[in-house]
Amino acid sequence: MTTFKKIALLGNPNSGKSSLFNQLTGLRQKVGNFPGVTVERKSGFFKLDKAHEIEIIDLPGTYSLYPTSMDERIAVHALLDPNNQDHPDAIIYIADVTNLERHLLLLTQIADLDFPLIVALNMNDIAEQQNLQCDEKKLSEELGIDIVKMNGRTGSGVPEIKEKILQLLNSNENKKHAHFYELLPDEKKVAAEIAKLIPVKNEYHALLLAHQHKRLNYLNADRTRAIQEIVLENKFNPVNNQLDEIMQRYNKFIPVLSKVLSKSFANAKTLTDKIDVIVTHKVFGPLIFFALMFLIFQAIFSWSIIPMDWIDLEFATLATFLQNTLPSNLFTKLLTEGLIPGISGILIFVPQITILFLLITLLEEVGYMSRAVYMFDNIMQRFGMNGRSIVSLISGGACAVPAIMSTRTISNWKERLITIMVTPLISCSARIPVFAILIGFIVPRYKIGYFNSQGLVFMALYIIGIVAALTSAFVFKKILKSEEYSFLMLELPEYRKPHWKNVFYTLYEKVSAFVFGAGKVILIVSLILWFLASFGPPKKMKEAENAAAIESSLLHSDKETTEMNIASKKLEYSFAGYTGRLIEPVIKPLGFDWKIGIALITSFAAREVFVGTISTLYSIGKHADNLTIKQKLQMEKNEEGKPVFTMAVALSLVLFYLFAMQCMSTLATVYRETRSWKWPAIQFIYMTGTAYIVSLIAYQVFK
Amino acid sequence: MSLSAKNITQLQVGENAIIGEFSNGFVACKLMAMGLLPGSAILLVRKSPFGGAYYIRAKNHYVALRSYEAENVLLNLVIP
Repeated sequence: MTTFKKIALLGNPNSGKSSLFNQLTGLRQKVGNFPGVTVERKSGFFKLDKAHEIEIIDLPGTYSLYPTSMDERIAVHALLDPNNQDHPDAIIYIADVTNLERHLLLLTQIADLDFPLIVALNMNDIAEQQNLQCDEKKLSEELGIDIVKMNGRTGSGVPEIKEKILQLLNSNENKKHAHFYELLPDEKKVAAEIAKLIPVKNEYHALLLAHQHKRLNYLNADRTRAIQEIVLENKFNPVNNQLDEIMQRYNKFIPVLSKVLSKSFANAKTLTDKIDVIVTHKVFGPLIFFALMFLIFQAIFSWSIIPMDWIDLEFATLATFLQNTLPSNLFTKLLTEGLIPGISGILIFVPQITILFLLITLLEEVGYMSRAVYMFDNIMQRFGMNGRSIVSLISGGACAVPAIMSTRTISNWKERLITIMVTPLISCSARIPVFAILIGFIVPRYKIGYFNSQGLVFMALYIIGIVAALTSAFVFKKILKSEEYSFLMLELPEYRKPHWKNVFYTLYEKVSAFVFGAGKVILIVSLILWFLASFGPPKKMKEAENAAAIESSLLHSDKETTEMNIASKKLEYSFAGYTGRLIEPVIKPLGFDWKIGIALITSFAAREVFVGTISTLYSIGKHADNLTIKQKLQMEKNEEGKPVFTMAVALSLVLFYLFAMQCMSTLATVYRETRSWKWPAIQFIYMTGTAYIVSLIAYQVFK
Repeated sequence: MSLSAKNITQLQVGENAIIGEFSNGFVACKLMAMGLLPGSAILLVRKSPFGGAYYIRAKNHYVALRSYEAENVLLNLVIP
């Protein structure tokens, strides 16, 4: 008989929790979300022995049982609600020896909730360097809790931790710890009254319900109201009681610590002090930050080209191979023109996501990120965001998909949401091919001093994107309401060497989350787009094909031109073509005809698809370079014999691509990150709406 | 302590002080949980490049505070 047990990993932020989690579980990790919220839920499985199968749940880090942000609340709810799916059978508490004083606060709180408990005492590098010793046997005696020394980096102590868990689970007698906190008389009264109404473990559990009943969604409305009445009747003052409790706890264990720690830290200048003199300097600080971001931006751009081209080529080769070997039928078409390009469209993002997260995780691991938050918090706050938002906005310059995923580090929901909503306005790399072709129509190439005219327009487009993002953020700040406190009060951890295992696991987890999360939606939408572009009313499609074939034979075209002509005509009469004509009245005021309409629809798969679609529509051929495409487009005339691609049309089109939400991958990611279709819908409407108005004005002014 | 007690925003960069009390309950609860207690010695290390945030050091850890949070930490000054 195997019994299945849940063990929670709990500790303060920066205590080495994720290192221990990775040491315990390796790659047997499962990442999901806590029900109903976007906070990531990590858990891992291992067999402790024949009789015990363990799920380790990595609860979000918190400083105390009085949560101040959404992720902290998750951890506390899991502990307070006995029916919560993550309510643990036992807890491994991680405490870092260099900050033991602070880390004991939460430990004594969970001990008072009577959880079976062991402490993993993380002996980190800094403790080693400073030769900090801790008499853990004595500490264990004083606290009445088992303590195992471990090192998250080397993994030493991990087998002992497993052994202790086994002992903990095997011992039938529920070892009761001495309670650390003695409730005050008024608290005892409140707790006793609550305990009469609601099943609780002990009076401290009841006291926590008195504090947090308004936010505990596991209590039904009647119970919340009942607690509310008790609290009001007894004039219970949550803030004062909380402060008293914290003070009483510190008073209890600070004397213990002075007995077990070899020395307290001297106020000597540490390496961190020395680094921060430069890294958070008034002038050098921001400069270093922008240099780092520029480096990341460059890396995403340049390092990803080779793997992206490779993925592109390999999938195209595979599709061609299958096309030539499989019988030509509907299934083959679905496979080679729908499914394979769809999967390729997902995987093409993997190099950029991997590079971005590698670098961001590294900066996070060494402790740099919280410095950036500290430096930019004030500026970003004016736009309703958080210091951390700046990282996402800059990453958006490469690709909005990983940038939006990186907002997970923002704990305030409103600040995070605003960042998600405005990031796609920053011009991403997929807009570049579209801009590159169209800019030629807007300005001729000439030199202004050292600068190239087209380069300046390019830069202007980027700046417009940034201004638009900040302006929208400001508007969202005014509209959105949030009950959550917005605060900084941020720990700046000591600098440390990156822990490569942690970096690896984080990368693995983010990339697979993208491929299997957002990837599903991308695949479905690209299949729909493929269907729209390849099928039409059968009669019309056949007629179009025949007409094109006849036309080509009359003109004695070669095989390639004939094929191009047929493809172009078929696209015209496909459902996408009809949709293009359908939306023509709407986009006409922007200067777009129905052919551009088709390109707008197909480029929803990815913005750069615009170029390919335009090439097919105007029968330009697959291997034309930008210059050829431009020349062909310039010759293109409408029914009245006037050129289609005028300066006004190109300008209108560029502005449309700059503002419009033309990327299903981003929408899918926003859906995944916000767990609702509401936000991607709002994002689509506000961005595309803005695009429409701006393009309309531009075209009407310049035509 | 009197209302005119100095708070963190009034410290000079490089100045030491002892935390006396907090004038906001939320700030107090959070900072105390983070290990900053009445009686803790702190040092204002620097202010953020664009203003609005304070970088402080307490014994062996470092904390960043917004102006509003720093205003609510009242201090007893230390004679150097």
